[in-house]
Amino acid sequence: MSWYSRRRKRSYYYDDYDDFDEDEDDEEEEEDDDDYGYGGYGYRYAYRRKITPVGGIKAQSKRGAFGETWWAKRWISTLESFHIGERLNRGKSYARGGQVLSIDIAKGEIKAKVQGSFAAPYKITIKLKELGAASWRKLTAALGRQAIFAAKLMAGEMPQEIEQIFKDNGLSLFPEKLRDLETNCSCPDWSNPCKHIAAVYFLLAEEFDRDPFLLFKLRGLEREELIAALGKTPGNTIETTAESAAEAELPPEPLAVEAANFWQGGTLPENILGEVRIPPVNAALLKRLGNFPFWRGEETFSEAMDSIYSKASTEGLKAL
Amino acid sequence: MIILHAGFQEKHLLLWGETAPSEAETKTKPARASQKKSAKPAKLIYDLGDDGLLSALSELFSGIEIEKSEFEKVTVWLPTVDGQVLASNVLIAEPPESKSPPTLAPWTVTALPMATVEAIELLSLCVDKAMLSPGVIVGWDLAFWATAMRFAGAMTARQQFLPSVVKEDGAYHARWLPVFVGQDAERLQKLAQAMPHVCRAMSADSAIPPTIAAASLLSEFVGLIVDHLARVDREHQTKSKNSFNSLHDQWLNALRTMSSELTGKESELSQFAAQSRNWRRPIEITTSSPFRLSFRLEEPAESKQETAKSLSRAATASKNGWHVRYLLQAADDPSLLIDVADAWNAKAKKSKILQRPNFNAREYLLSSLGLAASINPQIEQSLKSSEPAGYELDATGAFDFLQEKAWLLEQSGFNVLLPAWWTRKGTKLRLSARANVKSPKLQGGGSLSLNEIIKFNYQIALGDEVLTLKELEELAKLKMPLVKIRGQWVQLSAEEIQTAIEFWKKKATGKASVRQLVHMSLGVGGATKSVKGIAFEGVNADGWIGDLLAQLDGRKAFKELQPTEKFSGTLRPYQTRGYSWLSFLSEIGFGACLADDMGLGKTVQTLALIQRDWQANDAKNRRPVLLVCPMSVMGNWQKEAARFTPNLPVMIHHGLTRAKGAAFRKEAARQALVISSYSLLHRDLGILEGVNWQGVILDEAQNIKNAETKQSKAARSLKSDYRIALTGTPVENNVGDLWSVMEFLNPGFLGTQAEFKRNFFLPIQTQRDEQATAQLKRLTSPFILRRLKTDKTIINDLPEKMEMKTFCNLTKEQASLYAAVAEDAGKSLEESEGIQRKGLVLATLMKLKQVCNHPAQFLGDNSAIPGRSGKLARLTEMLEEVLSANERALVFTQFTEMGDIIQRHLQETFGHEVLFLHGGVTKKNRDRMVERFQRNTAGSPQIFILSLKAGGTGLNLTAANHVFHFDRWWNPAVENQATDRAFRIGQQRNVQVHKFLCAGTLEEKIDEMIERKSEIASSIVGAGEGWLTELSTKELKSLFALRADAIGE
Repeated sequence: MSWYSRRRKRSYYYDDYDDFDEDEDDEEEEEDDDDYGYGGYGYRYAYRRKITPVGGIKAQSKRGAFGETWWAKRWISTLESFHIGERLNRGKSYARGGQVLSIDIAKGEIKAKVQGSFAAPYKITIKLKELGAASWRKLTAALGRQAIFAAKLMAGEMPQEIEQIFKDNGLSLFPEKLRDLETNCSCPDWSNPCKHIAAVYFLLAEEFDRDPFLLFKLRGLEREELIAALGKTPGNTIETTAESAAEAELPPEPLAVEAANFWQGGTLPENILGEVRIPPVNAALLKRLGNFPFWRGEETFSEAMDSIYSKASTEGLKAL
Repeated sequence: MIILHAGFQEKHLLLWGETAPSEAETKTKPARASQKKSAKPAKLIYDLGDDGLLSALSELFSGIEIEKSEFEKVTVWLPTVDGQVLASNVLIAEPPESKSPPTLAPWTVTALPMATVEAIELLSLCVDKAMLSPGVIVGWDLAFWATAMRFAGAMTARQQFLPSVVKEDGAYHARWLPVFVGQDAERLQKLAQAMPHVCRAMSADSAIPPTIAAASLLSEFVGLIVDHLARVDREHQTKSKNSFNSLHDQWLNALRTMSSELTGKESELSQFAAQSRNWRRPIEITTSSPFRLSFRLEEPAESKQETAKSLSRAATASKNGWHVRYLLQAADDPSLLIDVADAWNAKAKKSKILQRPNFNAREYLLSSLGLAASINPQIEQSLKSSEPAGYELDATGAFDFLQEKAWLLEQSGFNVLLPAWWTRKGTKLRLSARANVKSPKLQGGGSLSLNEIIKFNYQIALGDEVLTLKELEELAKLKMPLVKIRGQWVQLSAEEIQTAIEFWKKKATGKASVRQLVHMSLGVGGATKSVKGIAFEGVNADGWIGDLLAQLDGRKAFKELQPTEKFSGTLRPYQTRGYSWLSFLSEIGFGACLADDMGLGKTVQTLALIQRDWQANDAKNRRPVLLVCPMSVMGNWQKEAARFTPNLPVMIHHGLTRAKGAAFRKEAARQALVISSYSLLHRDLGILEGVNWQGVILDEAQNIKNAETKQSKAARSLKSDYRIALTGTPVENNVGDLWSVMEFLNPGFLGTQAEFKRNFFLPIQTQRDEQATAQLKRLTSPFILRRLKTDKTIINDLPEKMEMKTFCNLTKEQASLYAAVAEDAGKSLEESEGIQRKGLVLATLMKLKQVCNHPAQFLGDNSAIPGRSGKLARLTEMLEEVLSANERALVFTQFTEMGDIIQRHLQETFGHEVLFLHGGVTKKNRDRMVERFQRNTAGSPQIFILSLKAGGTGLNLTAANHVFHFDRWWNPAVENQATDRAFRIGQQRNVQVHKFLCAGTLEEKIDEMIERKSEIASSIVGAGEGWLTELSTKELKSLFALRADAIGE
């Protein structure tokens, strides 16, 4: 390690004193947990290193920018507008290194826990200003005029025109002004947002990539509420628990007693197996769902799944 | 006889079985269904039990070990009458006679719960099989599970599954869930409808019968198999749970390995389960939907001006006006289609149909349309209205929809309804190129050469109409991908027309050998798939090449030949045609497969061909024909050759004393026909390959249906001018077996085996691809001739009753027993006279006949049946053909013991019930047997064994059109009377009578004696076999002696 880089690091300690000198994603060396002096100053630091937790949420983006979709990028740009300097990069490396232990999203509020250098993780809250019922009424009426908005949202995509609809009503989906947003972290850093908040921000961006409805939720409208607001349609019940819909019991079927049905059964239609081949696009069904929310595994989710699906395909062919 | 069954309960396939109870068991009063609800149900009297299951399984999996404790007593609800359970099959037990209707009652059976991996192994063996091993029948329910397993395999192969977290019995598990979307959902429904109810007849409760829905049980089963197959690291050691850094790591591991359980805090796990459900939600909205979004492409409304003469004017009819309509199709009734326009509005009348529990039409429509929009920009465009229900498109758009978008939508699980004139490969009518060949008429006496090089030019056609350049240019001006020409939609690509025009202007011509032209005309192995981008359709030829092509595909009759004078026999008209056809193909060097029904005389037609070739060549140019057949028919070939072509030198290449090396070559060179067997084909390949055969003929060619076997490879490696395959089973119906036979006949015609699998086998077998089926038929039909007895043209040629002798060989065991008996008798004969001598002769006759029938009959020791009798082997082969043609047969024997042996053997081989009428059968049972046999419906017995005494007279058994005389009663009158059970008033078909004889034994010799003295036979022979005792000792000794040609091994 060069003297220069050592120096450079030290120069940052003031805004970062609680867990000094812990992680620079552009530095490669792992620092030992021992103490060391600095030149002839005879100055020893009781150096504290961030605690690396196991099983934290790991960002799926391995390098570069966070957020693949325009709406996730918009979310990040909000964070960037606070000009918190190097904290932004440290937030990134926190997000990638699994320092964030949990994130819970509720209407208007996000709660998260992030592991820093103290034994107890820091507690973070991010609050967004919820839009009132009247505002939502206006918005859903406007959204209902074109089926494409709801359809795209449900398919995991946010049409850019949605922003305009918010604007037309004098509202905004993304937090624009400081008063739209209230962030808090229990760390001693005076800066708000701190790098812990930034880390949560980055991970949220990945979630928004997958499910743009979360942004609506943060503004106070759940997915089911949006569909209900769009209009009355036949078969109105929306199950809030997906479970019951998927596992709906079929009506009982009594056993036949005559020999043909009882022993022999019906004749099998032709082509009952369907197409038998390895699909051209691997794991297509899974890719429609996207990444698993707040993935904590050591392996990258999509890579692990890709390999399982392609091996399983071959196994399936063997069972024919 | 055993029938294996399987139920499915609590994630396990439970194997159980039925078997006929031993006599001791039947004598004790049969168990009755318990009346008291609380009592444990009575044991099923047909229960196979743990020993039975174990021995059946160890037949299949050698070295299998199962602890007694693994078996369970399970309650199964079965149809029961008056407290007596009904067996699944009469092979187990006849249904009791009762007028009361059956009801369901609980019974206790011994079942083996199988681990998923074991179940997969067992079910894989059951695929498409009626019998697992002799005497072990695959029950319909077990066969059903095998199909369900293959369905799960196909689902896994196409990756229709997602990972999940599921709570089972209080614990959380990582599971792979099959995703039934689109057609898979339909398939699941259809499969469930076909499920035999016994599959779900197991219950934990013996008070009320189970009522679980078939679809629930089936999807649970499919889920189990998919979950198993997707665990790709099954072999891996499971890691200790503590070694995971997160629940997600643990989950991933639990999805890959066999240990699916997740550990951790309940609250954390339940939250995780909910999260995983939410994550899958976008797809579950679709899978749980009782309706399916469908897209229907609708043609423009008919225009009035259809009569225009010019192609282009007729075609300009409509450019716009196409429409894609959005519809909701009910999953449980695919014919129910609701316009999406009605679905948006809760007040619309039709929307009532959409009222289903847990279904929100708007949510489903929005999310489905959102997905469809990402596939098709026009759908996206249509979503800019509040209640989209379809969109308009022009001809270009319609073509794009047909060609690409429809497929993409289908792949994403949507249903697409396309006009009938569209096939997967395009419009039925297409622009095509064909080769136009002009050749002179063949002058008499000139011979054709397939190697002659011929010039031809190309033509462009639309269907049957050849287009002029001007017409092509008109079409090019339209610039439309889809045009309606004379009421039919045709796809035209501008590029295609342009290349056609350019091609034309260059005066496209080509050169090819006649053989290549034949290939081009049939479309052999992609000989010419396209000409400069235009689909190649075939060859248009006149002159002799035209004749040749027309003869090949049956548009024109080939020259009919008469058998040569030296052929001693007459051919029926259809046999003359068959013989001429064989000559025609063999002369031009193509292989032919004669697949006539059994009994139509494949042998004579073949012999006529061999005789003709022999005479056509002068002595110097004569070369032998090699005939390969199963051992069981070698004797028959030899006999038939002696009868029809007595002047041809014939050699049997068989047995330990057969010629080898140079001696064989020298010997074979002198023959017209060398007969050998499949087993020697491979073993003696070295010397067989050394001969340049005139022809190679495979009899019972289904023996080479598997291309990988040594004998198939050996058959393909023989050198000859022509090749012929004979078979009585319809090879053309079994796509899988076709390649090997065709590769022997005409190498390369169907491409390599891998190409064949890709181009024909998979499309036909798994997708019922009509085009592939038609193409395969076009390729093979010139080389397969199959006539059925029932064909109108054949039936008139046939006598109503055909009597044929079937010569069989003895096995080594039979031969040595035979020799011992004969030697014994020879000694005693010298020392006896009078009544004693008479008795001795008759006893010896009896013993020898028994030996010819089966060693087990002679020994009377209840020993093993298969592989010990030449006659029984031949009978089994012939009956297999009878069964595969769905016909019925009578088998007569004079020995009750032999009848028992035949019945047992046939039932264990075919797994079908075989009736046996003998002196011990009561009148009531006899009438019932006759009634069931005569019922002549699917499922009623097809084979009826009768003892000559009990069944020789009186009965009316016209459902049969085959009569087998397994052993002979040397009295034609008695045999004819028996034959007349089938051949009598009421018989609609021709009857074939097969008389079995062991070659080289007394059976053949007595037959010869009767034939020789046919005029006196009826008087001398009189009743029975008494006249034989009048023969001199010398005559008798020669009668009993075994000729060398008797042994078949």
